[in-house]
Amino acid sequence: MVTEEEIEHVSKLMKIEIDDHKEYVEKVHTMINYFDILDSAGVESEEISVQEIPISNLRDDEYIPFNQKLIEKLKHYKGTYVRAPKMSS
Amino acid sequence: MNLKISALDYVQEVKNGNISAEDFVAKTLEQIHRVDDKLHAFLSVNENAVEQAREIDKKIKSGKKIGDCFGMPISIKDNLCIKESKTTCASKMLENFIAPYDATVIAKLKEQDAIFVGKVNMDEFAMGLTTEFSAFGPSKNPWNLEYVPGGSSGGSAVSVSAFECVASLGSDTGGSVRNPASFCSTVGYKPTYGLISRYGLISYANSIEQIGPLTRTVKDTAFMLNLISGVDSKDNTTIDNNNEDYLLGINSGIEGKKIGIIKEMIGEGIDPAVLSATKEAISKLEGLGATCEEISLDMVKYSVAAYYTITATEAGSNLARYDNLRYGYDFPVEGYEFNSYISKARRNFGPEVKRRMILGGFVPSAGHAGKYFLKALKVKSKLTKEVNEAFKKFDLLIAPTVPILPFKLGEKINDPISLFLVDINTVTANLTGKPAISIPFSHSRGLPIGIQLLADSNKDKLLLQAAYALEQTVSLPEVPI
Repeated sequence: MVTEEEIEHVSKLMKIEIDDHKEYVEKVHTMINYFDILDSAGVESEEISVQEIPISNLRDDEYIPFNQKLIEKLKHYKGTYVRAPKMSS
Repeated sequence: MNLKISALDYVQEVKNGNISAEDFVAKTLEQIHRVDDKLHAFLSVNENAVEQAREIDKKIKSGKKIGDCFGMPISIKDNLCIKESKTTCASKMLENFIAPYDATVIAKLKEQDAIFVGKVNMDEFAMGLTTEFSAFGPSKNPWNLEYVPGGSSGGSAVSVSAFECVASLGSDTGGSVRNPASFCSTVGYKPTYGLISRYGLISYANSIEQIGPLTRTVKDTAFMLNLISGVDSKDNTTIDNNNEDYLLGINSGIEGKKIGIIKEMIGEGIDPAVLSATKEAISKLEGLGATCEEISLDMVKYSVAAYYTITATEAGSNLARYDNLRYGYDFPVEGYEFNSYISKARRNFGPEVKRRMILGGFVPSAGHAGKYFLKALKVKSKLTKEVNEAFKKFDLLIAPTVPILPFKLGEKINDPISLFLVDINTVTANLTGKPAISIPFSHSRGLPIGIQLLADSNKDKLLLQAAYALEQTVSLPEVPI
């Protein structure tokens, strides 16, 4: 059973501020509860199939220059760096 | 000027000199200006389209090589990048974002002299199936303005249905092309995973989404596929289709083909009118020489939960880039701590996006992944096995595209589970990577019903042949717009 506290905690981790608890917590709760149906699927012994792409099929790991001026379009571009908010201590 | 013609007829008419690209595109823009106040299919309109069409007419007159589209007016879902054009994803977060490059599909269509008449509405970041989650307001269904047009590529379907373009491109993560195609009576196509490059499609759930055309006819869909499919070095998931010509032999018929009727998609909760249309479609396919038989896919009942678990997880990761440094709002960084700065920007995501991001943080998290995310991946694997088994016995599978008729705007917006279940018939194709098509088939209470056919991976050509055969049996009313 998922608690409202857990949902609030996850939203903080996802950097999402919740104003209206009813709007978010209840609906997310309803959605997660619906996912409980997965418990009845009987897939515990199932292997997870993954798509494997051989490295030889990937493009070369080479730097491809893009339009250099693109970085200048960032709002806080300062000539040689991009200004970001301070990290908390 | 008849704006109701198909894409292929448009090309033929321009080739024959019966119409000019300029006149047709000008009339198309007039139509957009005449009806779009009511329908709200478009988020932005390319007011240079007529001028671009004039250039194409000049090229034709001068005998220069001309692309296969001959200036055909196409609308584009607003999560596909067109260089130097706004690409908003119907989100406040990208309200002023100008794409710095063309998506591969856009570059290919430009090479073929297509004209983009505008960017069309969608659910924010393609998360939804009604367009009601667009930050710029919902689109309306041209068949009844009080009803949803489906989604998330709702603007695409509306614009094709209401003659505001000849064809459109959408994207389909769990039915987002086929669902609005069904609700608005257009053809909607989700190709085999990898057939069309996703480079330049703003990511929602990379492992299962595909770009797909919405058109008036099945032949037009085959024509569009010819133009936009194939390997792209910028998308490593693309597959080589050996330049398949999907139009060639489209009228081959379905004599002798075996079709499986997916039992779980015509069961509980289906609208009687949709069930009756499905039975009629089956009977018509049998009349064309196919044999139809029921098949059970046990995992279908878990598919929606698996789909939302997987897509929320991928979305949670994909949307991490909206940190207000690379994309977002214009407010200064001074005075903010890093996390609160990002949180403040993310307030501008709409409620559905926020909910799915919270889900996407929760279901793969330590302590919960085993119960949700890993189990969802296991359901996906088992469903794929079941479907692969089905295709050993059958050439095609059939089900209604959506088990219910279009519903009223606002009717389901506050009920997430009832919205989830609208996806029950479409997510299987995405989770298994199979191609699927929605064909306009019938009407009930003035609202359209689409029939869905699925084929095995890389059998897109066979799927289009079957869809074409079924389409030829259908005669539908004109959209009341």
